[in-house]
Amino acid sequence: MENKFDCIIIGAGNAGLVAALELAKNNKSVLLLEKGKTPGGVSSSFKRGRFEFDTSLHLLELMGTKQQPGELYHLFQKLGIMDTIEFSTLSDSLHVYEIEEDKEYKLPFGIIEFMDKMEEYVPGSYDALKKFFVLAEESKEALIYIEKNRENIDKEYLQKNFPDFLKVSTHSLDKVLDSINLPKKAQEILSTYWVYFGSPAGKLSFVHFAIFVFNFIAHGSELPVINSYEISTNLAEEILNLGGKIKYLSTAKEILFKDRKIAGVMLENGEIYESKHIIANLSPTNVYGSLVPIQMVPKEALKLTNSRVLGARGFSIFLGLNQSAKDLGLTDYSYYILRNLDSNKEYQYRQSIKNDSCVAYVLNNVNPNCSEKGTTILEISSFFTDDVFSKNATEKNYFDLKSIIAANMIDAFERATKISIKPYIEEIEIASPVTYARYTGHPDGVLYGYKATGMDNLLPRLLSLKEENFIKNLRFCGSFDVKLSGSSATYLSGDLTAKLTLEDMMEEGNEEWN
Amino acid sequence: MELNLKGLGKKDMEFFEEIPKERKKIIHSSSSSAILTKFNSNELASILHPKVQHVSVIDIIEENDSTKTFVLAPNAEKNTKKLAYFRPGQYISVEVEIDGCIYHRPYTISCSPKNVFDNLYTITIKRKRNGIVSNFFLDEVKVGDHFSISAPMGNFYYEPLRDANNVIALVGGSGITPILSMAEAIKDGILDFKLTILYGARTKKDLLFHKELDELAKKSNLINVEYILSEEQKEGYLSGFITKEMIDKYRENETSFFVCGPINMYEYVNDLLKDYQLPNKYIRHDAFFGRVDISKNEDYELTILTAEKKVTIVCHSKETLLNTMEKNSVLIQSRCQVGNCGFCRSKLKSGMIRTIDGCLRKADEKNKYIHPCISFPESDIVIELPY
Repeated sequence: MENKFDCIIIGAGNAGLVAALELAKNNKSVLLLEKGKTPGGVSSSFKRGRFEFDTSLHLLELMGTKQQPGELYHLFQKLGIMDTIEFSTLSDSLHVYEIEEDKEYKLPFGIIEFMDKMEEYVPGSYDALKKFFVLAEESKEALIYIEKNRENIDKEYLQKNFPDFLKVSTHSLDKVLDSINLPKKAQEILSTYWVYFGSPAGKLSFVHFAIFVFNFIAHGSELPVINSYEISTNLAEEILNLGGKIKYLSTAKEILFKDRKIAGVMLENGEIYESKHIIANLSPTNVYGSLVPIQMVPKEALKLTNSRVLGARGFSIFLGLNQSAKDLGLTDYSYYILRNLDSNKEYQYRQSIKNDSCVAYVLNNVNPNCSEKGTTILEISSFFTDDVFSKNATEKNYFDLKSIIAANMIDAFERATKISIKPYIEEIEIASPVTYARYTGHPDGVLYGYKATGMDNLLPRLLSLKEENFIKNLRFCGSFDVKLSGSSATYLSGDLTAKLTLEDMMEEGNEEWN
Repeated sequence: MELNLKGLGKKDMEFFEEIPKERKKIIHSSSSSAILTKFNSNELASILHPKVQHVSVIDIIEENDSTKTFVLAPNAEKNTKKLAYFRPGQYISVEVEIDGCIYHRPYTISCSPKNVFDNLYTITIKRKRNGIVSNFFLDEVKVGDHFSISAPMGNFYYEPLRDANNVIALVGGSGITPILSMAEAIKDGILDFKLTILYGARTKKDLLFHKELDELAKKSNLINVEYILSEEQKEGYLSGFITKEMIDKYRENETSFFVCGPINMYEYVNDLLKDYQLPNKYIRHDAFFGRVDISKNEDYELTILTAEKKVTIVCHSKETLLNTMEKNSVLIQSRCQVGNCGFCRSKLKSGMIRTIDGCLRKADEKNKYIHPCISFPESDIVIELPY
């Protein structure tokens, strides 16, 4: 094999795959290195008995439909995989149980419908929610403008077009919800979605949260009919079709430099591949801490990395049940089982190993054929807000600890919904932060990248993108990067980083020309 | 029109411009010491799932004239200081080099997880007719030999959230190894369920670990063992094959069946258990090579593409593509060898194969990926390895 490439991409996660494909589409020679045996990172699947489980995907916002395509639809279309994958649409937006208050709330998709229902639950919330969605939409447009024009943002334009966005841009979710006078209970119900970010309302960026909720409620959400591994494999197939190279079971050991410039990658087995451009679909902690020789790491990169805090650690239970969802009485796609809807309190609970709050997803209620007739795939998903799992786990108690936590969450689900599932478990697999550490290599097995709070939020990261490109021609993508975590976000992150790398290549071309 | 946002105003608008500066301040004031790269979860992941374990054979026990147990200990010289903990029923994949060819073979760990803390695993290998690796182990391997093995793998283990508290193991021949490991773990207090072992073999001398099993049944009131001999009548032993009467003696309202043995036995037992109309979840199988009927007896061309090169070799309709590659010193990764683990996943570029249904992920099937470990050629074949 020719061992010289226009770009080497380390990590075939969502973002790495998209970045590699985008570059290949631009006639660049690419080498994609992956330490695992299949593409996708956490967007993968595994088989147990007659079930195939998706490892991570619960919803794809920003997808939209053919009639109303979203950002992600456009991206997949551009990448040429849209015609090969079939999607289905989620039916319910939120069904949450608040255990400590013994309350249950169920809200539909559609902004008007959502506001009407909330008004029923919490009288006096309608007008404030309306403001919320106006602010959310304005924030969305402002962010699009900022991302597009991040090199020269026109302040006057921002002030003229997005004045309210500017007012809320640096504030936390609860502060902004207070400012629009949303009644406390409505704030709590709305904030349920904080579980997708891992930071509570007092720390979570309003802008980040509001854009997600706006996209989700206004445009709904999709899921691939097969699973996220299909998206991963189809992206990988396209890369190969365009002449790109992918090497699996190939772990990068060192990023190589020549004359203090990026020169290539050495694998653990000693193989060397040359390139002047590298995209890292892994954490800066791994890259600056292990892959780049210490003398080549700029001081500011060390400081930035040391200033960051790791995000939530995932815990998931994959269940294959031997009854149909209908026979079990499971009618919804998602069931949020939270001890308390006050996210600041709930956040505290999740620092405990006894945490049993979770979200349960009934895949068959979106994709009826995802498992054999008369069976159900139920995934129960949760997270710990810090390293409490790994502090409690030892080599000896590991498997038992996983089972105990899983049993707690299954119990919590059964108690809240009054639906019995335990007798029907035909297959079970439990993934802990250790599992995620094993497969992703992420520091401490975090699933949500760095904690997105304060000055390490979406907007500060985006506005500092240029300044923080510490090593020329070494770019990042994925859940640790500017676009933060989540499936849709990481696909789009790959797209953004490919664009930046193409700009790097262009600039280089110009320099050589001069 | 601007909204009325209580408590938020011009000052907040101005702060927008300060964002990068504010961020810089925080970064600036943080430490420039080396980045922390050790994390508990990653450390534990590498202890439980090491990429490779280097071991030495420290003892060999002759179980009968066709079976030996190999006691493996970590090889500190190659930097393996301890062995990975496992769940009883799991296997390790052994890598051996024979006549310049690299082979991988899965063997169940037959000891208790407790033995990991005494720094040892045991694996038990039975001679297979024409089995290159099993014959090598039985005839060539000596105390002091070194191997690299995988981390413990496989999903045939007791899971309290799924399996009944009463388990009947239906075992044939050398299929005893995972069940022995479970019984040892029960005795050691690592697992907690009632285990009855109905152990069938042709003659008494084909029963492995007879003494150990008797000992376990004596020590733990959770463990029962019955032996069934199909080709020998002996006092104190049941004779014939496993029957419903034998099962009924130990069956409770909720019972899980763990089945491990040769494929004929799976088929026999499946028929036997049909009458109970048990839900799938109560019958668990050790991973095994499903039946593939092949009538053809022909040679074909097998072309293998890797990132670096292209090799063409001869393959035969009755041999898996993986075994053909191994014998021809084409390096291919594999672990389970029964179509489950996905390590040998490769792209079928052209040609027809016969394989076991239901092993591939849906997207892999759509994209024409195969597991060479369970694939037999039915024409000339071109496959692409994933590295």
